[in-house]
Amino acid sequence: MTAVIETEALTKSYGPHRGIVDVDLLVDEREVFGFLGPNGAGKTTTIRTVLDLIRPTSGRALVFGIDSSVDPVAIHRRVGYIPGEFTLYDRLTGRQTIEYFANLRGGVDKAYQASLIERFDVDPSRKFKEYSKGNKQKVGLVIALQHRPELLILDEPTSGLDPLVQQSFYALVREASAEGRTVFLSSHILSEVERTCDRVAIIRDGRIIKIDRVDALRDLAHHQVELRFVDGVPVAEFEALPGVSEVVVDDHTLRMRVSGAITPVVRAAARYELLDFVSREPSLEETFLAQYGQEAVKTSRS
Amino acid sequence: MTADIGRVPSSAGRTPLTLWSRVYGFGSVFAKTLRDSRLAIIIVAGLLAGLMLSSGAAFGEAYSTVASRADLANLVANLPPAMTGIYGNPFPVMIETLGGSIAWKTGASIGLIAALWSVLALSATLAAEARRGSMELVAVTPLGLRRIALEKLAAHLTAMAIVVVVVAASTWLAGAAFATLPGDEIPLESAVGFGAWVGLVALASGSVAFALAPIVGRGASAGIAGAVLVGGYFLNGYQASVPAFAGVANLTWFGWTVHHQPLTGQPDWTSLAVVAIVPAILFALGVEAFARRDLGSTSRIPWPGFPEALIGLRGPMSRSFGERLPLALAWGLGVGIFGFIMGAAARSFGEELANISPATLDIIQAVFPNIDLASGAGAFLQLVFVEFGFILAGFAAATFVAGWASDETSGRLEMLLTTPMARARWAIAAGLGVFGAIALFTALLATGIGLGAAIGGGDVVTPILGTVVLGLYGLALAGIGLAVGGIVRTSIAGEAVAAVVIVTFLIALVAPALKLPDWVYQLALTAHLGQPMVGIWDPAGMVACLVLAVVGLGLSGWGLSRRDVAA
Repeated sequence: MTAVIETEALTKSYGPHRGIVDVDLLVDEREVFGFLGPNGAGKTTTIRTVLDLIRPTSGRALVFGIDSSVDPVAIHRRVGYIPGEFTLYDRLTGRQTIEYFANLRGGVDKAYQASLIERFDVDPSRKFKEYSKGNKQKVGLVIALQHRPELLILDEPTSGLDPLVQQSFYALVREASAEGRTVFLSSHILSEVERTCDRVAIIRDGRIIKIDRVDALRDLAHHQVELRFVDGVPVAEFEALPGVSEVVVDDHTLRMRVSGAITPVVRAAARYELLDFVSREPSLEETFLAQYGQEAVKTSRS
Repeated sequence: MTADIGRVPSSAGRTPLTLWSRVYGFGSVFAKTLRDSRLAIIIVAGLLAGLMLSSGAAFGEAYSTVASRADLANLVANLPPAMTGIYGNPFPVMIETLGGSIAWKTGASIGLIAALWSVLALSATLAAEARRGSMELVAVTPLGLRRIALEKLAAHLTAMAIVVVVVAASTWLAGAAFATLPGDEIPLESAVGFGAWVGLVALASGSVAFALAPIVGRGASAGIAGAVLVGGYFLNGYQASVPAFAGVANLTWFGWTVHHQPLTGQPDWTSLAVVAIVPAILFALGVEAFARRDLGSTSRIPWPGFPEALIGLRGPMSRSFGERLPLALAWGLGVGIFGFIMGAAARSFGEELANISPATLDIIQAVFPNIDLASGAGAFLQLVFVEFGFILAGFAAATFVAGWASDETSGRLEMLLTTPMARARWAIAAGLGVFGAIALFTALLATGIGLGAAIGGGDVVTPILGTVVLGLYGLALAGIGLAVGGIVRTSIAGEAVAAVVIVTFLIALVAPALKLPDWVYQLALTAHLGQPMVGIWDPAGMVACLVLAVVGLGLSGWGLSRRDVAA
């Protein structure tokens, strides 16, 4: 596969403020790549550096094999982008705003543009200042998508969208992927990444702490296992099993956290008479929780 | 099931305000509003103080003898009413004194400018914030809508108080620095009386906008209040020449205070007290309207928009021009009307001066040897308009540059620069849009001056060409602002231009008066622009303006290409 985005030890320092440190990313062609992290973790800084809106302190970012600091215009020609927060021209209508950006790019398929406006249910006759937050976001999405870019860089794209429009957006992401385009989706909405992305990178405090397939991340994560015994609980036997931790006994019930393969626990449990065996597959949210701890998840939700 | 979470002490969780928060303006709605007004305060106070001091200096220099003063008094007394009221003061008194002259020629203009600022500020302070949504966040704090409105109002009142103090101080200073004959001194209480009039007239006008803004929104309230203000100003100014105006003029605060002449020792404090009732009532109505109506909900007044061809959707240059277009029209029409009135008044002024006071004509000719008032409108415009015109052109450029900067300061630039457009291209193309706005402003101003000059008599072409020099000055200042915005950061670009305007004006004003070395005076760009309204060109200065504009534009592109784009 060809790398569409590749960063090598990408670092951006803001003096005393944290930026990003040694970020190494590799996003392949046709991939839907999730970029997950709480607010302030460095997601937007990474994106802005990749797009040459800010310059790296060290390291480099390549998009389509082009160094972002060397020829950003060549990159931008092939990219569609929606920032996490943006404002446009108050006095222009939605249609005029979309048309202006189409003019800046050139070669926009008007029929496709119209279909996007329809799919996102945008009223293009209203002035931008009169739009709600969600409708402004829709206009931004049309601008990002209307030229059928090879690479979509979307920074928290569903912010403010109602569930129906979110579904339209997810469908468009799937279509883009099916058409061979690449999507880089920054989000702190775990379910969004889980349902949309092939792979995910988790960033915390400006550093990438995990990159893997969404499925693999889930597999790598712990299982919460709960065994209810008829008789006494053989705590020591289960504590000695590989990957078992946080063992808690409550009367005839044994609860534990199991990292990695769950097979040893199943085999051990099979030797006893059980009233119940519950193993819960962790959600990505719980994976995230395990990586970040409760405090980080709270931060990401705030 | 119920849960008792206990009673939280009222003082719990209340963060003590740091000194830094208080000083920097984050301690309250009042302080934040005042902080946001700092540039406007500097511009308005600087402009009004400059106007006052330049009027004083010009009078002190031109009328330094008893005979010349007598001639001037005779001239003004014999002017036709249409001329007398041209400056907004239809009943000049003690014109032979410095205070009387300032009160007649500049006083009403100072009140008008302060009032325009108040209208713009008070129409926006609540409505604009409600429209952009930030008011909702403030409104859900435990402050309450009335208190928010009152704090914002208090901030404007404080800003106006600062301006009034500066106006009063500069009035007193003009009397102290430029008095050449007995009776020229302006006592402090007179200066205060004049400052109080400026503040009250301004607040009365602004209060109309403040009361209407929660109901009809920012633009409509500013438009209505502006119409009331400008209409009142002209009705009052021309009530002596058009008796039909007198009745209506007496309904305006300009009419109520027409005999308040503190600079000539004839204050009318009662009329000021009456004027003070207007803002008191309208401010109360505005606060109540804001508190009782749905937040941000306004009634729309139908208004025609610009044709789509002028909005500018083709590229960054046309978009930048389209964004600046309403402001360029406002500046161009406003200053153009002023230029038209000045130009149209030229013949009457020149003829009266020649008939009534040849000695005054001789004095003016001696002080300004290149200006022959009998030659037509250009000379009059050079004498009374150009200096003010440079200031206005400079401030117009400052607002255009601030608009250019808003692409980055508002966050739009991030989306624009992820299209296939290099940073330098955006900076230069959008900068050219700013230049286009200055060209439009200059064209409208030239039209006003040309029409006025045609009425005023004499050569029409030279004043029109002279207006181009004002446009070149505006281009030069815009170039400086663009360079600052590109290299340093755009958020200070407009302020940088405004600062250059004020510093240039002060150098040109103070250096000769204080007999500073000539090189100090030469630092002012306006010292190198000749006397354009009478056809005396200074090619070096004009070329310097063009160079500043072009180099500044180039530097903006170069600078932006080398730095991070603000988030």
